Amino acid sequence: MLHLLLLIGLVAFSILAVLSRDLLKSAISLAVASVFLAVIFFRMNAVYAGVFEVSVVAGLITVLFITAIALTRQDSDVAESRRRLVVFPLFFLALALIDVLVMKELLGRIPAMVNPESGTFSQVLWNQRTFDLVGQIGVIFAGVLAVLALFREDGKPHGDAPKEADHE
Amino acid sequence: MNNLWILNMGFVALLIGTGIYCLLTMRNTVRLLIGVEIIAKGVTLALVASGAARGSLMLAQSLAITVIVVDVAVIATALALIININRHTKSLDVRKLTRLKG
Repeated sequence: MLHLLLLIGLVAFSILAVLSRDLLKSAISLAVASVFLAVIFFRMNAVYAGVFEVSVVAGLITVLFITAIALTRQDSDVAESRRRLVVFPLFFLALALIDVLVMKELLGRIPAMVNPESGTFSQVLWNQRTFDLVGQIGVIFAGVLAVLALFREDGKPHGDAPKEADHE
Repeated sequence: MNNLWILNMGFVALLIGTGIYCLLTMRNTVRLLIGVEIIAKGVTLALVASGAARGSLMLAQSLAITVIVVDVAVIATALALIININRHTKSLDVRKLTRLKG
């Protein structure tokens, strides 16, 4: 029952992040949804994934979002479609209905999947997923290089709109 | 355990559906990234729930951590791009990004 409530909280805060008018509230709702997800992970005994979810997603990504929102605050008022408050509940109800029907069909059909593994987390991570770790390090460096390239100072003052050279 | 997996998968579908709705209908670029983030949450939950049901939780966690790391790199790069675009267009509206339009 607690698991169901946590899942409902996760989806509810995700929906709040999508529908909220203020971007800051959206970012904070996303962080709260991450905390719900982390608690779900802890309850499944997935401690490492839970720690990563709390520290990286609820912490680092929220900080990145709030920094970006603060830097673009003056232009953050974008007119969204006015119908979203009508369309989204209809979309979500249809999705939930299809979801319930599909999952109900699946209920007795999937055999219990039990294939216990051996070894600790570090053994699995360092011995089985060694190549993934190399890829992850590459991704982190690619991200750092991309951010550095995007924010490099090129001598020109920022904030000026580029001159329109082409003919409209 | 099997029923719990199906319950988790039902909510994964709701999360991914919400994220796809956000990507399809929203016009604010930061909000589009929030949609990507919600989809990533759904994928992480699917991985860990499947690992817990199958008894290979450690492998699932290592894959979930990979997803989270890739997600952070994507979000950081995309937010840097959004800030740079905002300096040029003075807006966060995705409809203003028409400079490459033929």
